[in-house]
Amino acid sequence: MLAVRADALRKRYGDRDAVAGVDLAVGEGEVLGILGRNGAGKTTTVEMIAGLRRPDSGTVQVLGLDPWRDRRRVRQLLGVQLQESELHAALTVSELVRLYGTFYAQSADAGELIEAVGLTEQRDVRFERLSGGQQQRLSIALALVGQPRVVILDELTTGLDPEARRHIWAIVEGMRDDGVTVLLVSHLMEEVERLCDRVALLDGGRVVAQDSPAGLIAAAGLGQRVRFRVAGAFDRGTILALAEVTDVQVRGDRVTVHGSGDLLAAVSTALVGAGVVAMETRLEQPTLDDAFLALTGRSLEHEGAA
Amino acid sequence: MSAAVTDTPAFRPGPRAWAAMVAAEARMVARDTAGLVVPIGLPMLFLVMNGLGSSTEPLPGAGGMSAFDIYVLPLILVIGVATIGVVNMPSFLSYYRKSGVLRRLGVTPASPVMILVAQLVVSVLQTALGVALAVGVAVLGFGANLPDRWGAAIGVFALAAAAMYAVGLLVASIAPSPNAAVAIGLGTFFVLGAVGGMFGPATSLPDGVARVGELLPFGAAVIALGTTWLGEAPELRHLLALAAAIVVSGLLAARLFRWQ
Repeated sequence: MLAVRADALRKRYGDRDAVAGVDLAVGEGEVLGILGRNGAGKTTTVEMIAGLRRPDSGTVQVLGLDPWRDRRRVRQLLGVQLQESELHAALTVSELVRLYGTFYAQSADAGELIEAVGLTEQRDVRFERLSGGQQQRLSIALALVGQPRVVILDELTTGLDPEARRHIWAIVEGMRDDGVTVLLVSHLMEEVERLCDRVALLDGGRVVAQDSPAGLIAAAGLGQRVRFRVAGAFDRGTILALAEVTDVQVRGDRVTVHGSGDLLAAVSTALVGAGVVAMETRLEQPTLDDAFLALTGRSLEHEGAA
Repeated sequence: MSAAVTDTPAFRPGPRAWAAMVAAEARMVARDTAGLVVPIGLPMLFLVMNGLGSSTEPLPGAGGMSAFDIYVLPLILVIGVATIGVVNMPSFLSYYRKSGVLRRLGVTPASPVMILVAQLVVSVLQTALGVALAVGVAVLGFGANLPDRWGAAIGVFALAAAAMYAVGLLVASIAPSPNAAVAIGLGTFFVLGAVGGMFGPATSLPDGVARVGELLPFGAAVIALGTTWLGEAPELRHLLALAAAIVVSGLLAARLFRWQ
């Protein structure tokens, strides 16, 4: 059985299609990244999966249950961290974790959970006095307090500093190790590449590609590059004949080799065989951002946070 | 694995969750220092101002009750419950909606209705505390008398409180933001109070205004409560006015309230 299944989901706001036919299939224990620019329909999609918004058409199933009809069962199985959602401002970390714990048939131990998200020192601090990163970690703790089988995390590291971000990534990696299914909405390439088994690329309310990060990069048909410097003259023919190589460019003492497969090993072996001394050799692989650019026509990086 | 899902009980948050929710609301209210000043401080201010100024001599034909007992004390109790119901409660509910607290609860097994009920329970507790305090000070400090038919007084006061909470829910449902909720709540409170005799006897108001004022929740509550202090049964029209306020405001609030 699939942990989450969405078929032909559509949602219109006014005369704009926020989501224009999204299909998703997430296996149990999988971490699926939902990646896209602002306004691509990511949040609307997960809000429909979470049962917060009703789709205009299409169906959603969470562990085989309908989030609207089987609302009570789904609420027990699904943990949600919402974008920009506040909590009772004057309650402390530990009061909030305990409060939310009472909503579930089986809740996690409050102390252990607070420890797991690294808030033990702040457990008696009010929500309103926590830093952005601490509030975000508390928000994740509340998504996990009911020991859910599926968790939705919406833009969980937006606006955080790199250290807070890495801390939260470690928490998500812990969920993955525990076999929890995670839907991770993000527009951060690094986050998605590090955490996700598979990525659904959303653009204009549609899934334009769905694959593993490596698969998406491969599907985009972007080759790898090996760059190095040589001392003295260099004959392109030395490596151009290799099966892995598609092109070789020489500018002064700098050489750039385009190709695919096990390019670095093939080039290195050939250089050693020809007695060429290569310096500063490095392999440049296309990133998910390069793939995103190739698949949607626009880059995602350097876009302002939501 | 799939068996586990169909086995998942349709669990409803139980008494523990309700108790935790009430405790959470109580903490929110208790830690909101500014919010406590109005419902506790304002009645006290009125009590002291009037207590120093008004006579505690028994009025002729009032069964031993003074003007302070039958006019001032009921007024102060109604001010207390009106500030809690019409000003404070809507500001909390509106803040919860605006900040996404209600939305966040909407994705848990808890229903946002729980927060509403918990907020009402806490308002009732807060009202009881305010009443006990005001009555205590009035009796000990100013020699006030309590009504002989205290059961009737409590009944009328409960009806008045329900009317104020219903008006408060209506305020919460029409206010677009927490600031607006405070503004609309305070505005409503002062208008109801002004035409209901909060700033002086209703007899000094224009006749038409006074007649409308005594049928709005504030005026009706003050008069009905004062009557029970005299040991008499309140007029039916005042009780009906309170009941009408509950029904009309309650129905409108139920229609207009938005969770997000």
